[in-house]
Amino acid sequence: MTNLLSIDTTNGTSVAVHHDGVLVASVHHDSGMKHAELIGSSIQQVLGEANLKPKDLTAVAIGRGPGLFTGLRVGIAAAIIFAEAIEKPLYGVISLDAIALGVYQNEPAGLPLLVHTDARRGEVNWRVYVGLDRYGIPKPVTEAAVGKFDAVVHQTQSIHGSIRVETGGATAALVGQLADLQLKSGTASKDSSALYLRAPDAALPKPNQIFGKRVSS
Amino acid sequence: MSFVIRPAHRSDLAAIMALETDCFKNDAWSTEMVAGELAAANTRYFVLVEEGPEATESAPVLGYAGLSHYVGREDADVQTIAVKAELRGKGQGRALMQKLLETAARAGASNVFLEVRADNKTAQQLYSSLGFKHIDTRKHYYQPDDVDAWVMQLEITPLSSEPLVLGIESSCDETGIGIVRGNTLLANVISSSMELHARFGGVVPEVAARAHLEALQPTLHKALREAQVALEDIDAIAVTNGPGLAGALMVGVGAAKALAVALDRPIYAVNHLVGHVGVDVLERGEIKTPTIALLVSGGHTSLLLVNDLLDDVQLLGETIDDAAGEAFDKIARILGLKYPGGPEIDKAAAGGNPKAIRFPRGLTLPKDMQKHRYDFSFSGLKTAVARWVEVAQDSGQEFSIADVAASFREAVADVLVSKAINACLDHNVKNLLLGGGVVANARLRELAIEKCAQHNIELRIPTLGLCTDNGAMIAALGSQLIQAGRKPSQITFGADSTLSVTHVQTLE
Repeated sequence: MTNLLSIDTTNGTSVAVHHDGVLVASVHHDSGMKHAELIGSSIQQVLGEANLKPKDLTAVAIGRGPGLFTGLRVGIAAAIIFAEAIEKPLYGVISLDAIALGVYQNEPAGLPLLVHTDARRGEVNWRVYVGLDRYGIPKPVTEAAVGKFDAVVHQTQSIHGSIRVETGGATAALVGQLADLQLKSGTASKDSSALYLRAPDAALPKPNQIFGKRVSS
Repeated sequence: MSFVIRPAHRSDLAAIMALETDCFKNDAWSTEMVAGELAAANTRYFVLVEEGPEATESAPVLGYAGLSHYVGREDADVQTIAVKAELRGKGQGRALMQKLLETAARAGASNVFLEVRADNKTAQQLYSSLGFKHIDTRKHYYQPDDVDAWVMQLEITPLSSEPLVLGIESSCDETGIGIVRGNTLLANVISSSMELHARFGGVVPEVAARAHLEALQPTLHKALREAQVALEDIDAIAVTNGPGLAGALMVGVGAAKALAVALDRPIYAVNHLVGHVGVDVLERGEIKTPTIALLVSGGHTSLLLVNDLLDDVQLLGETIDDAAGEAFDKIARILGLKYPGGPEIDKAAAGGNPKAIRFPRGLTLPKDMQKHRYDFSFSGLKTAVARWVEVAQDSGQEFSIADVAASFREAVADVLVSKAINACLDHNVKNLLLGGGVVANARLRELAIEKCAQHNIELRIPTLGLCTDNGAMIAALGSQLIQAGRKPSQITFGADSTLSVTHVQTLE
């Protein structure tokens, strides 16, 4: 018997509970903001709907991104500490993989699948998949990466020919479902670190920088 | 159908009144009375609602109950308890009573009293089965029905009169987790990302936020080991929700809320700056008020008037440009010294002449003092030092870095201490408390000691580990709120990067 709590904050604030792989409760706030406000009550809400106490959970799953960093971290921080407090394992899934799972559920395999999400600054987060494995887990053929949409499509087409291009948002329901499949197939990962695809923006200062206007000598 | 008991909110008032008038008919409380009960500092009210998506919103209230307990007292009183008629006899009244008893025990009470109508045998049976004894009868207590009241009493074991509070701080570049019991410090673990910022010459918010996320779990483990307690033992969580770097704050808030929900413990969202003041209870057992507090760090330069730690904190002034700590960092860079600048400048200034160069004291001219009596400005000082160094370098003359560092440091310490002393004198306050990382600066401490002695002001400088950003101060402030019987924050509060010092606790 498994009771899995899943969290994903790569776009909205999303929390779900799966009982033996079946979704029994979920809440999804679409807003790309207010993650810190919503995370606590969202967890309370799904536990209430699932009629579970925190200690009844058997594991926690977290969408590691990629996503907008500030919101992403709220979910990961909550997942790490929640799992710690209930003394249950925490599993990390890549949020793009969860989106791919959702895409395949709507329309099973076919052409190679390019999944992308908005990464701001005219770029997308992306990953390419070629169908599902025997457990129903999307099979990636690239790492998750960030790039210009047109270039990514062009590059993927040059390798795979005709492709299917999909976008979407990860949900905790999909993250939990994927984690459940990965647990069954023995491929679940305990890596819960944030998947950042960009380095922090910060300019190195010029050595011995002088402030203000130069004074003529 | 299953039910859940949760703390009552103000927004439940109408729903509670519907139940109250339905259950009590002739002797129901008025709306004003119930509103007063919900808002009172000494009461804790709970409502019984149907479990589901609306459990946290304003769902119909099926039962409610309240407890009154004054901090430090042994006795607690059941104020009222009511369950909707069709739900009676199904264990819901018992569940509400147990919630009250648990709350009383957590608050440190050892006796719980209640009054019940002499003709209400069902209720009496419930209370008896919980262990309550009939100790007295009040004649003609319930009017207009003219019914006697039974006074019943239950002895309980207080869990601890001193709350065990875990505090989480993540407002800047330090991940701090502290644990206190009452006013006693049990653990204060700080994980700093300072080294990661060194090559940038200042705190980079995104770098700080990433570091917080990585530091959370190891810092928590270390704090629990240091305090020799388990998470299960924690009575309440306190967390900084501002002011500070938004992305950094949110990591702590997310973690704290998860902890509160997982452990089913109350959460207190507290003000970082007031935390710097409240930390003094850990060393002195109390906060001497009124006090002026001078908080100086890489992120803040603030002068506060604290009349009451929990209820009356005023911002007298703050920096209008750079924080004092930033000024140290920037001048260190100009002088070719390392980051963070404070300790480097302290070292470089040793042996230097603080009067060698008269650098400007920001916002101290008469015209500035009218408008900015308690405000600070360090950008003019920074430019003045930069130009002085530039001119000296261009002229090819040798100059003493020690003199520049000592003169710069003197200018900063002078303006900080002068304005703090002014604030004490103007408000006739005899206490000055220093806080923030810049308090590590040797000259600042020296000058503060000297000037306070001159003016007969009692100076408090917490040990350095409690001066820099830390979780213990957040736990200490949370503990003060709990000991004063304050209600927890609702789980929906957010991080506020510009939170005002007047908001000691963010309730919702």
